[in-house]
Amino acid sequence: MENNGVESALNVFEKQLNKPLITALEACARCGICAESCHYYVSEPSLKHVPASRAEQLRKIYRKKYNLLGKLFPKIFGAKELDEKTLEELSEIAFSECTLCRRCTFNCPLGVDTPLIMKTLRAMAVAGGKAPEMLVMLADSAIEKGKNPEFFKELFLQQIKELEKELQKIVGDPEAKIPVGKKGARVLYVALAGAHTIIPPAIIFHAVREDWTLSLYEAANYGVFLGDTERAKLIAKRIIDEAKELGVQEVVIAECGHACAALVWEAPNWFKEKFPFRMRNIVELIAEYVEKGLLKFDKSKNSEPITYHDSCNLARTSGIFREPRIVLNAVAENFIEMKPHGIENYCCGGGGGLVALPEYEEKRLKAGKPKAEQIRKTGAKIVCAACENCRLQINDLNSHYNLNVKVVSLAELVVNAIVLESKKKVKEEKTEERVSLR
Amino acid sequence: MDFLSITKLIASLSLIFSISLILYQWISLLKKPKVTDYSLPKGSSLNGIIYAFTLGMAPWTKESTRKHWILYFRGILFHMGIFSALFIFIVKILWNYIPDLLLPLALLSGIGALMGLVGILLRIAERNLREISNFDDHISLWLVSIFLSLVTISSISPSFTPYMFIFTSIMLLYVPFSKIRHFLYFFFSRIFFGLHIGKRGILKKLEVIHGK
Repeated sequence: MENNGVESALNVFEKQLNKPLITALEACARCGICAESCHYYVSEPSLKHVPASRAEQLRKIYRKKYNLLGKLFPKIFGAKELDEKTLEELSEIAFSECTLCRRCTFNCPLGVDTPLIMKTLRAMAVAGGKAPEMLVMLADSAIEKGKNPEFFKELFLQQIKELEKELQKIVGDPEAKIPVGKKGARVLYVALAGAHTIIPPAIIFHAVREDWTLSLYEAANYGVFLGDTERAKLIAKRIIDEAKELGVQEVVIAECGHACAALVWEAPNWFKEKFPFRMRNIVELIAEYVEKGLLKFDKSKNSEPITYHDSCNLARTSGIFREPRIVLNAVAENFIEMKPHGIENYCCGGGGGLVALPEYEEKRLKAGKPKAEQIRKTGAKIVCAACENCRLQINDLNSHYNLNVKVVSLAELVVNAIVLESKKKVKEEKTEERVSLR
Repeated sequence: MDFLSITKLIASLSLIFSISLILYQWISLLKKPKVTDYSLPKGSSLNGIIYAFTLGMAPWTKESTRKHWILYFRGILFHMGIFSALFIFIVKILWNYIPDLLLPLALLSGIGALMGLVGILLRIAERNLREISNFDDHISLWLVSIFLSLVTISSISPSFTPYMFIFTSIMLLYVPFSKIRHFLYFFFSRIFFGLHIGKRGILKKLEVIHGK
């Protein structure tokens, strides 16, 4: 039984050995310059937190199988056979000591893709039965939900009706809607669990009179955290199928880093398909509204100093770091940048699914120290983050490091500053041509 | 056949052996199934690749190299030395001597040798480097540094040329199995990095926001 786990892990490793992975395993010169790029190393400068050292653990297995000198003289040339104990250690490293933030890759003179190595380790751990149970459970429950949507649909629609009443009260329009399953809508918005990712975007969509509909499913994809393409694909399939069925032009993903990276950049490759709709993050869509002058703001509503945390999945993985700044400069009076920010920003420490794993809380909070210090140095009272996991982590850092800040989403800041046109005017304009955002 | 000719023949055969195996590895990698990216581009992949091999290599474009620019330049000089020494080595195989015009390359090779020595000392003295280095890292660095030294010495004093040929042969036989072959993967690694930052719109007009 034990050997089966190791065998399965090695099978997964062999299957994943494509050009990018072989390159990542072979290119590293072990110069160690990546050390300080890792937030784990910055908070605790020890060898185990040097990205090259972490990746070396899989390189040892690789050398034992694929390198002549590694096969002949394993001890001298740093090669190692994979066994049960090693697999367990590798799983611990992959799930708790790397948030897949890509900061090391961006700082490596060779561009070695260490997160790819860590993702492979995660996939091997899943195959070998060593992955954190919580992540497996969350992924599987999302898959089940996709298999039987009728079980929860009615309850979901009831909840949305309640939220719709709230929306109508906020915008002062009894006709404001949160449409679900609207065929031919321009935008399919995929939210996360909880009203906080539905109401603010609904207000924004209402303000620009967007033709939208809400997805039945949540954007979160725990299969991605597991490095398990099969699970991730099944979770994404629910949304892809829904978008195809409704015939939407765009799938807009909630403020969630990993969901955006998974759906925009990975899902087309899982399905080996160019989808008949565009996919992007809501931050990009809001920035477009702002640039087109479709929203009016009263900046004084956001007068307290605000700083922005770049989610790794949005900035370094999805190239979304200009857009949130377009929005922030439009809605906030006092926007202060962290140092560094953009693609050089530090990970908050909650990425890679870590916020969902209570067993690693201590490690997670420790790894978040550089982020906490960055926030403190800005003197900001509000931290805006366009990623749910980042917000959860920063909230925890807030309590742990006594930062005394409020953590909000970008849409919340937008809604706070938005100047809604009167109900009468909205009604008048409804007869006019719809705003085209194509 | 004199001593020089024998050593030259050995060096030539070693060079052919090394190039053949490296080419084999290159082809094996290229033969791996193509990974087609179906995602919709947000930017230009080509611009990303151009950037990755040009401006993206500049020390100011990465926090790590901005902080450790001396170490980075050590690495750059070391590698420039290697390319110079390889060029001189091939010229010597073809013509037995190097023209005066190439003497600056010999100097660069000598500087590379010194940088190699610094690298050896760093791997011994610096805690992280010492811990992450394996035998291959050390032996590769020693072999290349001695090669650079011998190329420089043999450029000044041609009587050293046969010894340079013998040593270079040993190094060339080791290259395809060792860490030294990372130069082959460097190109792939930068291409994949360039594709990432290009296609995903991280790069715009060959510029990135570095968050300064």
